[in-house]
Amino acid sequence: MTASPEDESLAAEYALGVLDAGERAVVSARRMREPQLDAAILAWEGRLAPLLELVPGIEPAPDLYDRIEARITDPAPSPVIDMTGPLRARLARWRAATMTTGAVAAALALAVVFQATHEPTTTHQFVAVLQKSADAPAFALTVDIDKREFTVRPVAATAPAGKSYELWMIEPKLAAPRSLGLLNTDGVRRDRKLGDTDAAVVMDATYAVTVEPEGGSPNGKPSGDPVFYGKLIPVGP
Amino acid sequence: MTVTPPKASSSDAPYLAALLRKVAQRDREAFSALYRATSAKLNGVAARIVQRGDASEIVQETFVRIWERAGDYDASRGSAIAWMATIARNRALDEVRRVRPSSIEDMPEGIEPADEFIDPLASRERSEEYIRLMSCLRKLEPERREMILLAYYRGATREALAQRYGAPVATIKTWLRRGLGQLRECLGS
Repeated sequence: MTASPEDESLAAEYALGVLDAGERAVVSARRMREPQLDAAILAWEGRLAPLLELVPGIEPAPDLYDRIEARITDPAPSPVIDMTGPLRARLARWRAATMTTGAVAAALALAVVFQATHEPTTTHQFVAVLQKSADAPAFALTVDIDKREFTVRPVAATAPAGKSYELWMIEPKLAAPRSLGLLNTDGVRRDRKLGDTDAAVVMDATYAVTVEPEGGSPNGKPSGDPVFYGKLIPVGP
Repeated sequence: MTVTPPKASSSDAPYLAALLRKVAQRDREAFSALYRATSAKLNGVAARIVQRGDASEIVQETFVRIWERAGDYDASRGSAIAWMATIARNRALDEVRRVRPSSIEDMPEGIEPADEFIDPLASRERSEEYIRLMSCLRKLEPERREMILLAYYRGATREALAQRYGAPVATIKTWLRRGLGQLRECLGS
């Protein structure tokens, strides 16, 4: 099996690097679940990689190796306990995804949950920091998989004048981005319902925030590219 | 006694691949040697994309990922340095797209795509793959070739290319897709 012509083009554009942040996030999420798309991306990266031969080196800062060594010497955070096989594999993928999207995001997510809220967490809770850059978190999203509930906490989001923020769940198994409703910037919204969405879809989805006309998207679809987005990572006990 | 390994070049492929295999087994000395051999290259790749920003954070994340994922390296897919540089490149792209996610982005100043072809320092060591890819790139229309190189080396977005070439974004997208399609056909893989 090979990727469809559209996915083949998408893989080429991803490898070339011309996709915007939202498109990259969606492709990154999809390739973890779609081996054909992943293979197409790897093939394109391989085709273009010879170009890197000509790039001249630039010596990095002298202390960089020490910083890297400190990072790899820190004991890894203990994994969520009592993981069954598939969940363990999923956790491994999350770790990989977290590496891709930045350990800063993970650290922020944990800081938001553990320090800012003091709320008890369980092995069934997952958190995502919705942001456009690693140092500018806008919302923290907490999901309780068992209860199919989610809580959104504004971190540093300011309300867009005369517009609304709308939260979307994006996942290849969903035919289209699914609206999870509007977001406040002035207070926590707790225990909102996710409905009966499959747990794997909930956990693998990319959560994205768009700016919509006041009151939400007029046609049930995102009106533009995400302004903030993130993926869930598990929260240990 | 400290032995300084040579800097990475295409002729070091077996050396770097061997280091990666050791890193996959948590060999810190191998990791340190791999860093010394490749960090300047990876920093160069990332710095071209982040441009005005600092690439050291990206290089740091890249090496942490290499430490954790060295076992994923598959020598049948390409050289070790290509695998590592691609990680650095993807990290750099993720970062610049996050920092500047809006559609309008300044095209970096002083970039002449022709420069990308003429690097006298590199001319002595070019792999067969490089020569083949370049001969295919030369068959593209000059503008399409430039766009592909600007995107690859500098992380140019479609919007930035649209500004530079005075064409609508949709047209740029079509040109890029056609150019990439021609390239794939020429490479025959």
